[in-house]
Amino acid sequence: MKKRGKVKASTVLIYIFLILLAILFLVPLAWIVFVSLKDDKTLFISPWAMPDRLRFENYTFAWTAGKLGIATLNSAIVCVSSVLLCMLIGSMAAFAIGRMKWKLSGLVMTYFLTGMMIPVHCILIPLFTRFSAMHLTNNLWGLIIPYVTLSLPITIFIMTGFFKGLPNELFEAACIDGCSIYKCFTVIALPLAKTGLMVTGLLTFVANWNELLLAMVFISDDTKKTLPVALSKFVGPYNTNYSQMFAAIVIAIIPTIIAYCCFSNHIVEGLTQGAIKG
Amino acid sequence: MDKLLRNKMAIILFLAPALLLFTFVLFIPICQSVYYSFCDYNAMTAPKFIGLKNYINLFTTDRTMKIALKNSLFFLIFSVVSQFLSGIFLAVLVTNIKMGRNFFKNVYYLPCILSSAALGLLWMFIFTPKMGINQILAQFGIQGPLWLMDTKGFIILPMWVIAFVCLWQYVGQSMMLYIAQISGINGSLYESAYLDGCSKPKACWHITLPLIKPMMATAISLNAIGSLKFFDLIFNMTEGGPNKMTNVLATHLYEQGFKFFKYGYASAIGVILLILCLIVTFIVNKFIKIDNYEM
Amino acid sequence: MKKRILSVVLCAAMVLTMFVGCGKDGDSNGVQKITWMFWDDLNATEDLISKGYKDVVDRFNKDYEGKYQVEVVTTNLEEYYPKLNALVAGKETPDCFIVSPGPNLDVYVEPGKVADLTSYLEKDGWLDSFNGGKGAFSQQTYDGKIYAVPLNIAAACVFYNTEMFEDAGITTMPTDYNGLLDACKKLKDKGYTPITISAGTAWCLSMLCGYLCDSEGVDLDKLNSGDASWLDSNVVNAVNKMVELSQYFQDTAAGDTNDVATANFYNGEAAMLIQGSWAIGQINGANPDFEKKCGVFAFPGTNGRVIAKSDSLAMSATTKNPEAVIAFMKYFTDDTAQKYTAEVGGKIPVTTVQYDADKAPAELAYVMDVFKNAKSTFGFYNESMASTEAGSTFDDAMVSIYLKQNSVEAGLQIVEDFYKNNVWNKD
Repeated sequence: MKKRGKVKASTVLIYIFLILLAILFLVPLAWIVFVSLKDDKTLFISPWAMPDRLRFENYTFAWTAGKLGIATLNSAIVCVSSVLLCMLIGSMAAFAIGRMKWKLSGLVMTYFLTGMMIPVHCILIPLFTRFSAMHLTNNLWGLIIPYVTLSLPITIFIMTGFFKGLPNELFEAACIDGCSIYKCFTVIALPLAKTGLMVTGLLTFVANWNELLLAMVFISDDTKKTLPVALSKFVGPYNTNYSQMFAAIVIAIIPTIIAYCCFSNHIVEGLTQGAIKG
Repeated sequence: MDKLLRNKMAIILFLAPALLLFTFVLFIPICQSVYYSFCDYNAMTAPKFIGLKNYINLFTTDRTMKIALKNSLFFLIFSVVSQFLSGIFLAVLVTNIKMGRNFFKNVYYLPCILSSAALGLLWMFIFTPKMGINQILAQFGIQGPLWLMDTKGFIILPMWVIAFVCLWQYVGQSMMLYIAQISGINGSLYESAYLDGCSKPKACWHITLPLIKPMMATAISLNAIGSLKFFDLIFNMTEGGPNKMTNVLATHLYEQGFKFFKYGYASAIGVILLILCLIVTFIVNKFIKIDNYEM
Repeated sequence: MKKRILSVVLCAAMVLTMFVGCGKDGDSNGVQKITWMFWDDLNATEDLISKGYKDVVDRFNKDYEGKYQVEVVTTNLEEYYPKLNALVAGKETPDCFIVSPGPNLDVYVEPGKVADLTSYLEKDGWLDSFNGGKGAFSQQTYDGKIYAVPLNIAAACVFYNTEMFEDAGITTMPTDYNGLLDACKKLKDKGYTPITISAGTAWCLSMLCGYLCDSEGVDLDKLNSGDASWLDSNVVNAVNKMVELSQYFQDTAAGDTNDVATANFYNGEAAMLIQGSWAIGQINGANPDFEKKCGVFAFPGTNGRVIAKSDSLAMSATTKNPEAVIAFMKYFTDDTAQKYTAEVGGKIPVTTVQYDADKAPAELAYVMDVFKNAKSTFGFYNESMASTEAGSTFDDAMVSIYLKQNSVEAGLQIVEDFYKNNVWNKD
């Protein structure tokens, strides 16, 4: 009896701690929504005070002037295609590295992993000159290609772990049934690694959805700009429209949250099986 | 079976797209960058080979480089240690409660999926000297410090602020990794431990921690590389100021390359950064190998 | 197996289309397209000058419909130069682009990336329409050749809150440094914050330092050539004055950004703001009631010298349609655009246009007075130095001195060291 009481007290403490922490995580995010409904003048006087009235026109302005509609569409096209391509190309390579038997697999893996260490600023100018000579700038493909490539290392990293973790018996059985290696990959390995694909998909999606520098430099045409670029429109040379910018940020955040909700249940299981063996 | 897995044709087919993309988009530009690091190059005129001069300047006359190196290393150590401890701590707490487990997990993970640039702006606002936190502190009669402008101490206050914001943003990621590993642990292990009269904290120490060791290595290496490349938050919160005191390698690289047009010089910083990343991964990799055997 | 091969083929086909199906820059129906690059979004902006530029583009596109067409490429200021440099490096230099005079323009002039505009300017009396003729181009001229056209001028002045000044019993505006100190003291005694300034945005502080240095007779040209030192007594005196003035700054100056410092002023929390005249639009836009109590005077004690900054347009040396670009540039300096600049934008026009002073914001009239009475102008301090990096070093040194991180001498020593390593002994 005494023991149960003690356990309960600790549980309460844990909950109090977790709730306080959750507030610490949510308050700043709620504040973004809050600011997006104010105007700049009152923002500078009292950022925490309630606005005199809720200015939903910030949202209308952000949506129309920032051309967020087309930007969201572009971001969606770029992110969805790069996520799909990256999943396909990455898991193919990961399968070869993690499952198949050849001498150089370790070396190739290291080669891919160095990609994680490269700051994107380093390759910006060489990449731009190359792409511009190939007319790949001002073109959504010009973003998709680097996005896929930059996400490949982490995808391969996680997926290799996944494929390594699959039980050997499965493949042996398939082999006896006369399956080709391609069939092993598409019919056995990929479906079993579904959770891993979810995780890498989410990571790729989030990273690319928020990427600014490449998008800013590679895309000039207004109709091809992605969301982060559209958000930066509210930063003027001498002053910034904070409240409208925060309204635009709120709009831009929503799709990531939706994507997260779709994938989130798979993340944990995905990671469980994946990254362990990485 | 073995023959199937040694199918050269298949290996090549599987690897080709990734290898091609990787080589074309990352490897060749990196090689170019390495070459530029030996040149006087401003992206507008043709690069002029000057040997090691960029590197020599980097380590002799460049005051900011020293600060940036110090800050980057501080950042590396701080985020590896803090994310490691708080990630495991949160993961253990969250997996040990019954109600609202998903809620807490998702709330803590939320900042990870938002853009660092937007969050940087948000935090910049919160840490402005008069508004934000200080306005709240003033209600209690406390005069808050200049969060992002103070320059006293070996590691200055703004670096701590940024480091904590970074922890706030990315702790969810580490927590997720550890949760994943913990939920993979066989529940019967705990049950038998409890039957033996083991308390919860003790079970956690003796069962959970040893079993999540492999994940520690993964999380730490992702973390270490991420923190060395860290850019967005700092750039949006302080832009490296005041007086370049909050520069890290990545922001120094940006400033030299894109503000002052010294592209060759910036490439040299990039090379240093790459080498640092390689060293760190090498160290962590050793660590991983040992742990995998323990599993 | 077949499926697999199919998907590989599909993949390859996709990669191919990426490389092939992208060239789409052929100009249809003989319309010559030119690109103009600018550092603010023309649709989302609230900046009055940027809005004026949008009108210019619209007007030009309408008047030249079927002949020329301007396509605007915008970024925010932060990414402007990275992007412009990438475009230049990728041989996609925009036909026309905005640039700040000084080291930022040097970078494009030296490798010949921008075109010499002298001959175009001398044709059809374009040059004569500018206020001061060739003199208007002093910051854009290299070896007698003009490489960029200024669009408007912003002068840095002291904006002040007339109510606070009255309350503090200041009737005549300070004309020298001691007068300024006196005024600050009186304001402070009345319980006002005398000066709002931003050290968080470093150029704001160095604008003040620029004025102080100039009044002490610091000669940037001599410093750039190595004939003077940053440790000379006149520089030290000037910086000491900044430190002396800093006791009258708002408490949070160290961390306030430019936006916050300006907001302090129009929200009535401080009596003086030392800013460029572009702030007029921001002040009146955010707090329209403030216009009637906002006064302007020239920074005291500068012997009639005023800091001026102009937005300038440069033309790519490789543009295919120079005629179109020149026609476009002329739209920026025609009477309609220049009138807008003065009457709405609150900046000083570059041409001799007659504008309706009543329509213009009240503050502009004061700024114009300051500008008219000015004996000469000089550029932004950090933009007048040997390189962008030199300017930034100066900015940072000033901030570190203000923050008391460095003593005046130690701070200036940093600038001196930078000049020793990068400017004077450049090999």
